[in-house]
Amino acid sequence: MADPFVIIGASLAGGTAAATLREEGFDGDIVLIGAESQLPYERPPLSKQYLRGEVPFEKTLVRPAAFYEENRIHTRLGARATRVVPAERAVELETGRRIRYDKLLITTGGRTRRLPVTGRDLEGIYDLRAVGDADAIRAEAIPGRKAVVVGMGFIGSEVAASLRQMGIEVVVVHPARTPLLRVLGEEVGEVMAQVHRDHGVETIFEDTVAAFEGGRRVECVVTKGGRRIGCDFAVVGVGIEPNVDLVTGTGIQTENGILVDEHCRTSLDGVYAAGDVANHYHPVFKRRLRVEHWQNAIKQGAAAARSLLGRAQPYEEVHWFWSDQYDVNVQYAGAHTTWDRLIVRGSLAERRFLAFYLKEGRIEAVVGLNRGKDLRRSVPLIKARSVVDPTRLQDEGVDLRSLGSDCEVPREHTEYGSLNLRSAL
Amino acid sequence: MSPEFVTVAKAADVPIGGIAAFDVAGTRVAVANIGGTFHAFDDTCTHQQCSLAEGDLEGTTVTCPCHQGQFDVRTGAVLALPPPSPVKTYRVRTEGESLQVAV
Repeated sequence: MADPFVIIGASLAGGTAAATLREEGFDGDIVLIGAESQLPYERPPLSKQYLRGEVPFEKTLVRPAAFYEENRIHTRLGARATRVVPAERAVELETGRRIRYDKLLITTGGRTRRLPVTGRDLEGIYDLRAVGDADAIRAEAIPGRKAVVVGMGFIGSEVAASLRQMGIEVVVVHPARTPLLRVLGEEVGEVMAQVHRDHGVETIFEDTVAAFEGGRRVECVVTKGGRRIGCDFAVVGVGIEPNVDLVTGTGIQTENGILVDEHCRTSLDGVYAAGDVANHYHPVFKRRLRVEHWQNAIKQGAAAARSLLGRAQPYEEVHWFWSDQYDVNVQYAGAHTTWDRLIVRGSLAERRFLAFYLKEGRIEAVVGLNRGKDLRRSVPLIKARSVVDPTRLQDEGVDLRSLGSDCEVPREHTEYGSLNLRSAL
Repeated sequence: MSPEFVTVAKAADVPIGGIAAFDVAGTRVAVANIGGTFHAFDDTCTHQQCSLAEGDLEGTTVTCPCHQGQFDVRTGAVLALPPPSPVKTYRVRTEGESLQVAV
């Protein structure tokens, strides 16, 4: 009997991949290994609706519980895979037990970066990655209490918003001049800063945490700038590290995640990776990207499954994500690290706009506030890599869909830099 | 007893390829015009309650503006995540110049 297809990581990417294998007609055995004890679930609600107690956990499941049995997907939950043993085509679990694979897909995601400061081990300080973290934060969020949120990436920003909506006093500490600076730039970041201030968040920017102080529990956050902020609890959102430990010493190449090509293949035959952990070569942007977002987990998880079956199409989805904060719907598409021109269509002041990040005349990425329909219409412009007319791009009277075919120029310039889009989870 | 048809607009108010939302007996109903045939369904996305009429209509697919979930306007079926469930569909007809929906 053939060895199974094994998926390590019972996550959105892993669960979607397992489901896709069956949808594509694969009839062999599938084993889905997860370090967490839950069936695959979606993380975006953990900082939003689930954190605020608006949706039950069951609503966040990637597939209903019965799906796995009905589709003969053998789940091994609460089982941490510690290493891959290529010589035996096997995965070793924490218990020492080995599971042989015919093909292996790694969707292990990431773990939260730990802030290396004094007092981090005090009670009342939380990261947010798993459902248990969200439960713990929700239990602290009693109206009238005060929280410090450390880091204003997407997780910190969404948690700050949710806590305000739950009646918590919120102070944020963030090293840059504006939230989300690295991804959105200063102009758009400042709009988001003002959104938070309008909702009563106290913002401490260009400062970092020096220590957490307290007896058994955190009582005070001390910043390098000398601020002492009394609080009832704290939430830290300073990014994730990809979970690559299990491939150490296997010959599987890693660099900011597991390196894969446009077919989700690692450097080792029969081993694939997808989702947050996969630093993938992107044919549109002609460089490697590692993306920590919902859409990539689903689309790349499905693409990897097809690749396992030998039916790979190049994975060239234009990356896209959203973030909801208060009544503001933020969406982003593309992939940019630098830009030489920012074109705003709409009004920054009214918080209803698209901001295009242009480099050498081409749209690398776009961010939209409360402009979802137009943002979606911008995606073909990004994918085409064509030079666009900035005047028309800015002109609200011009339909974005008419901008597509101005001037098709193949992009010769190739970069191998890596980009981390902070998670909107 | 089946629900009665209610006039929501003039048929000309929803041109071919167009989509618009109306209040019908307390329910927000979206009406899409696909090549002269009208389709009516819940305007409220089952994911985060955004208005589907604010989104794009391409062929028989409507895309939610907030999180890009997609529905088939003829059946209400989910075509792309994240919506967890279909939207309800309603009977729609033209009566003279009037566009009528039964909720």
